[in-house]
This record gives sequence, structure tokens and C-alpha cells, in this order.
Amino acid sequence: MRIKLPSLPAVGAYLALSCLFAGAWFSHPAPVHSSFALMKPVMAVADQVAKPIYTSRFASSGLVDFVHSSAVTALPDGSLMAVWFAGTREGAADVQVRSARFDAKSGEWGAEQVLATRDSTQQGTRKYIRKLGNPVVALAPDNRLWLFYVSVSMGGWAGSAVNVMVSDDYGRQWSEPRQLITSPFLNISTLVRSAPVFHADGSIGLPVYHEFLGKFAEYLYLSADGNVIDKYRISHGNNSLQPTVVPLDGQRGVALLRYAGNTHHRVLASRTEDAGQTWSEPYPLDPSNPNSSLAAVATPEHGLLVALNDLQEGRFKLSLYGTDAEMDDWRSLRDLDKSPDPLGAPFSPEAYKEIIGQEFRGSSGALRQPLEAQFLSNLDTRVCKNQGCEFEYEYPYFIRSPDGMYHLVYSWNNTFIKHVTFNDAWLAERVH
Amino acid sequence: MILFLLLPSFGLNKAWRVALLLALLAVSFIPLDGLTLAAYLRSHIDDLAVTTLVFMAWGCLRRMDFLPPARGQTGVLTVFAVMALALYPATLGMSDLDPYRFGFSPRPMLVFVALLTLGLFYLRNYLAVVMLAGATLAFVVGIKPSHNYWDYLVDPLLGLYCCLALLVLAMGWIYGRLGTLRRSA
Repeated sequence: MRIKLPSLPAVGAYLALSCLFAGAWFSHPAPVHSSFALMKPVMAVADQVAKPIYTSRFASSGLVDFVHSSAVTALPDGSLMAVWFAGTREGAADVQVRSARFDAKSGEWGAEQVLATRDSTQQGTRKYIRKLGNPVVALAPDNRLWLFYVSVSMGGWAGSAVNVMVSDDYGRQWSEPRQLITSPFLNISTLVRSAPVFHADGSIGLPVYHEFLGKFAEYLYLSADGNVIDKYRISHGNNSLQPTVVPLDGQRGVALLRYAGNTHHRVLASRTEDAGQTWSEPYPLDPSNPNSSLAAVATPEHGLLVALNDLQEGRFKLSLYGTDAEMDDWRSLRDLDKSPDPLGAPFSPEAYKEIIGQEFRGSSGALRQPLEAQFLSNLDTRVCKNQGCEFEYEYPYFIRSPDGMYHLVYSWNNTFIKHVTFNDAWLAERVH
Repeated sequence: MILFLLLPSFGLNKAWRVALLLALLAVSFIPLDGLTLAAYLRSHIDDLAVTTLVFMAWGCLRRMDFLPPARGQTGVLTVFAVMALALYPATLGMSDLDPYRFGFSPRPMLVFVALLTLGLFYLRNYLAVVMLAGATLAFVVGIKPSHNYWDYLVDPLLGLYCCLALLVLAMGWIYGRLGTLRRSA
């Protein structure tokens, strides 16, 4: 039998192909996964017995738009920056990503700024953009400020992509938006809602979720310059959304998930022991969840504080809970906001106006107080429908700032973004 | 290029086909409300895989009679249809395993695609070889914003085309077999 040897050009081609793949192999090692960045120790106020603090005020100031899905981050000068989306309604073409800054000295939020619009996103990404949604903001350990937000080019929210902007000067100037590549299928079906988590080497963990063929959560792993370099499934199937990830130490962490199924209507939890690379099968916890967003933050006592709608249905009450690291023992600390009706039944416009006026005065903070009359004259389809007017307190976002204060922002009847602040002394009073 | 490949030939000669392709390319750069028509299309189909660009370029050159028919087209269709079917349903949540992750740590995939490419070269399926080698070269250079090897290898457009083309070929084969059986009966 004669063996036919390949020709010289064929040998050359075999060699060239082998070199090409060898080059690709050597230039693309697996990304190194870093541990969670540990929380910086709280700046102690020497020899001072902290007084309990619990305050609230509105972060947004517009009186006309539907506002929703807020997020907040602490800046090194003690101020805060909040972001949310605002427009005529959720999903409208005029929805913008807006921000405001909290001045720690005055204790009030400043004027609203526009960070991203449909047009600015279109120009940055060179793609047609139909609508914008959920923004999240976070300051990285290297003091770069990251803004992630959702955009849709076609279809509904299932067609979402995640956009990113970054600022090197604490939000004065921002880079052009660009899209993260998160999915091989038309780069759609990825949404962001919860706080990013930073890792020890500066890489970023971004909790995201899908709602196209399935409803499940993922942990995107981004390099320190904001490129997706890996991703990990937190949950599977068709019943969980909007993971909020809380690192407990360098390797351990928990993800609390919004329940989007039809069985038990409870908050789901999943755990990681390897800084987000693998996650346990999600399991239901004690608190109920009416398919609504929730937020959590770690406490110095290795427990968790969780803000959620502990309801089977509706979002008419937003509560603050404390739990241990095992999440076995849940303690209600405070109802942050709730409808006067225990079942959240709608009110007539007249009755509603009176109640929400009182709520406004209790929530707005001194700077926004003069807006009450104008606010009440503007109540419209954001809160009132044919069957009456309802209260909705939803989409909490939780952080602990380096000075040890807890900051919570959430949608207050989709008319304002409300900011609640408290400290460990206030917490200690509630726990004991 | 997509439109050029979708349009019938209209009985045009080579020169007119070249002119038609150039005209369509020019049209794709016409701006409308700040975005080109190509950008609008990209908004819906996202960035194409490098394999798709090679495949479309080959298709255009074939349409203009610059290239002879490729050998082993069924092999090309099968390779990319299998890739698409392995990737998309699972990564969209229909499986607990997410194969898209393999593209972020691509060494095992690179070994597999290298063996596949060398095998296809041995079988003289040069179109598939150029597609896979081109995608890998682009991945090494990093011409796309994605860091995932899959995004260079396959996209939904290519996957859909390959699946449909294989379906049409299979139907043709079945009809042919039925016709043969009927004649022999």
C-alpha cells in the first residue's frame, strides 16, 4: 500500500493553521477569579457614643414624571450619588437616566441631572435604542464611578442589553455609553438591577438576570476596565429574577432573589463559597415575595439587613428586616412605608390625596416641603387608575457607606425616589 | 451584503452584479435620524460573527462568478448548525449548563476547533477552514468587543441559515428517495 504524502503547500497550510490555534491557545488563558473585596472598616468616631439616627427625604425633585428603579453609592467626600429612571411612564421613549447628589453638610439632595437618554445611548452604542431602564451606580475601590443601565432596541424588556458608562472624576464627566456583550443570542435578554460587587483585584461582579426564554439570575464577572470576562449561573429555570448579592467574607456570599414563579411566593436564596463562581440551588426563605425587587446589605455582626415587600401580592408595604448569616431567624425592624389599608386596597382620589399629603410631609425632607401643593395637584395615572389610587413602595437599593451609615433608596409611589438613612445605634435600638 | 445575497440575480451579468453590490453597500451608509441603515440592521441582529462575514463574502463572490462552487457545503452547514443548536437554547436558559461560558476560557474549545479545522482541511472543505481560521485569527487580534470565542464562531443569523438550509436539503433528499422508491415500485 502506498501512503500519499501531502504536498509542500498543504504541509505549509497545516503548519500555519497549527501555529494560529497554538497562538490563540497561548494568548487566551482562563481568567483568574479573585476573592470578594473585603468591606473597609468603618471610620470610627473616637470616644463618641453614637446617637440613633433615622432620617428620610426625597432624592428626586421632579413632579411630573414616573420615577423608578433607583440606586445609590457613597462618594469619598461623604456625599452620595443616586440614579434612577424617569419619564412619562415605564418603557416610554422619553425615559432618561437621572441622578442627584446628596450633600452631607446640608443633609439634602441637589438638583436632578440627566446622565443618559435614548439619543445619548444611541450615539454611544451606534445602535437604535427604543427605551431605557434600570440604572445602577457604584464606586469602585480605585475610585472609578460605574453606571450600568438597561436599554432595549427591539421588543420588550426581554430584549434588553446592559450599557456601561464610567467616570474618573466622581460623576462630573462620563465616558460614552457602550454595551456589554453578555449573551451570544443577539446580545439580548440581560438586565441589571442590583448593586455591583467588587473583587480584591478590582474586577467587578455584576448581578444580572434573564427574562427571555427563562427567568434566571447570573453573576457577570467583569475585568477592572469593564469587559465581561466570565459569567456564572446563580439560578436556573423560570422563576427567579433580580439577584442582590451580599459578600460575607472573601469567599462566601449570598444572593437573594426575587421570586417570579407560581408556587410559594417567597424570597429565594442561593449561596456561594468561592466568590461567586458556583452557587447553591436556590431555596425559599421565610419572607414572602410578591414578584418584587428586594435589596440586602451585610451588617458588622455578620447578619443581613433586607428591605423587601413582605407580601403575597402587591407592593403597598416596604419593610426592613434583620436576619442572621444563616437566614433562619428573621426579625421585622420597621415598616419603611405602607398603605394605611392593611390589604393595600385602593382609595378614592379625594381620600388618597389627603393621606399622601401627610405621607409627603413625613417623607420629603425640609427642602422638598414647599413642593407639596404642586405635587398634590399633579397626582395622575402614576398612582390612580379606574379602580382607585394605590400606594406602592418598591425597588429598594441598599448600601452601607464608609462612615457606617446605611442608605436605602426606593420608589415612593413612582412619584419620588425616597432616601432613608439610619445608623447602627438606631438598629441596636430596634433589635434589642 | 445580506440584501445582495437575498435578492434574486435578475439575470444580470457579472459587471451589473458588482455594480448592484456596490450600490447596496453605498445605500447601507445612508444616515437616517443620525444612524446609518446598516446601524439600524445591526441594532436588531447585533455584530455578526467573523464566520458569517467570511461566509457572506464567499456568497457574494460566488454570486458574481468570481469563485467556483465550494466543496462540501453540507459539511459547512452541519458544523455551524450544530454549533448554533448546542449554544443558543442552552445559554438562553433551557439547560442548567451554560456553554457560552466555555468561550471565556476557550482553551478546550480551541483544541476542538483546531482539530475540526485540520480535519476539514484534510477533507478539502476550504470554505469551512477559512471561516474557522478567520474567526480564530480575529479572536487572537480581538477585533470584536467581545472576549468570548463563541461570538467569533457563530451568530444566530448563520445558525438559522444553516439549520434552514439543512432542512431544505433533507427535504429534497427525502423527496428524491420517495420518487426513486415510487419509480422502482
